[in-house]
Amino acid sequence: MVYYLIMCRSLTYAQRIVQTLERSGINAWLVRSPASISPSGCSHSVKIAQRNLSNALTVLNRVKLPYLGIYVGSPEEGYQEVEL
Amino acid sequence: MIYFDSAATTLQKPKSVATAVEYALGHLASSGRGSSAASFSAAETMFDCRTAAAELFGVSEPERVVFTFNATHALNIAIRSLVKPGDTVLISGYEHNAVTRPLVAIPGVRVRVLDTPLFRPKVFLDQLELELIAGVDAVICTHVSNVFGYILPVKEVASLCTRWQVPLILDASQSAGAIPLNMEELGAEFIAMPGHKGLYGPQGTGLLLCRRSGEPLLYGGTGSMSALQIMPDVLPDRLEAGTQNAPGIAGLLQGLRFVKEKGQNVILRHEQTLKEEAARGLKKMPRIQVFQADEPGVQSGVLSFRIDGKDCGEVGEELSSKQIAVRTGLHCAPLAHRSVGTQDTGTIRISFSLFNNLAQVEQFLKVMRQIVA
Repeated sequence: MVYYLIMCRSLTYAQRIVQTLERSGINAWLVRSPASISPSGCSHSVKIAQRNLSNALTVLNRVKLPYLGIYVGSPEEGYQEVEL
Repeated sequence: MIYFDSAATTLQKPKSVATAVEYALGHLASSGRGSSAASFSAAETMFDCRTAAAELFGVSEPERVVFTFNATHALNIAIRSLVKPGDTVLISGYEHNAVTRPLVAIPGVRVRVLDTPLFRPKVFLDQLELELIAGVDAVICTHVSNVFGYILPVKEVASLCTRWQVPLILDASQSAGAIPLNMEELGAEFIAMPGHKGLYGPQGTGLLLCRRSGEPLLYGGTGSMSALQIMPDVLPDRLEAGTQNAPGIAGLLQGLRFVKEKGQNVILRHEQTLKEEAARGLKKMPRIQVFQADEPGVQSGVLSFRIDGKDCGEVGEELSSKQIAVRTGLHCAPLAHRSVGTQDTGTIRISFSLFNNLAQVEQFLKVMRQIVA
């Protein structure tokens, strides 16, 4: 199943993003980033369903919460960075 | 036992603190170090604790709340971040060794001490402004003296520091949990506090509230950016190397909730009431010198006294033999004793928490009457 990963600067930022999205009614899950998208080593991402990306970005831009990148994919097919 | 040493650590804690610590020992793993439910539970607890602290102390973002082992650890990070070799640092005459020793350890630092009398905040502020005009690189000020309970006028101190563009480090070791503090309103660069005193958390916990990023005191794993051999540039990771004290932080979270629920002003009033009652009783006894403020609002629930002709340490032993715990000596704050002229004798300090009551003060006074008789 394909989904989006919002890669974050730190675990705490990822937690803030999850909290902010959940408060806006968008389901979000904290996950460790797959190694393939995390060249600097361990990091955390926020996983959201494909249909929620637009709303999620609107919310994050409104509250000015930074993130490192957006990736789309799945464990089976791998991940691609999304150009916004 | 009657425990009157909460300025060192609060011994009695809310039941929820012990419950949370015990739960954490069996259920919380290393935050940020794995994908297990136990690891994410630890991360959630730590985030909740950061958020609770940020709300209580007016910190704009939870990542600006850094976990430390205690206030000393937090002060060391703050001082190493702001003070460089050769700097001139202005400190109050009531600072703890947790401030003075780290300063002395930095080569070439010139420490200027605001040597002003006890319980005279106006004199303190006048002197401070003169020193700021003369020029300093940083100011470090305790909110409340751990020896005398002197509440320093930190809002005005912060305002003056802002006006003269001098960074301020605030040591809130004795005020956090009893006197409301707002980081954003104050504008201090760093505020350091223990988790195990007025916040009713376990020992081994502390907080550093950061307006800016700081210089790491410890280097190591953070569970982030692991391929790089430099510390991450983002808070809190930059200042939190190594596995964190998840059980302690779980307990601290409950302590923060307890303080919020009770209300800091209520806690302060309770402690001050006990202190006033103790001071009133002690002043009626012969040969006792009590260090009590004349005006309200200048002293917390901490009270020092000494007895002419009696060694403070021996008085502490006598009280201990009657199951009353106090603290005697220099209280790791020789500078404060020098400011008041008690460096040769030290003092006997009593300090309270929300778990003390007037009946305990009466019992203490009864024993004291026997000691001075």
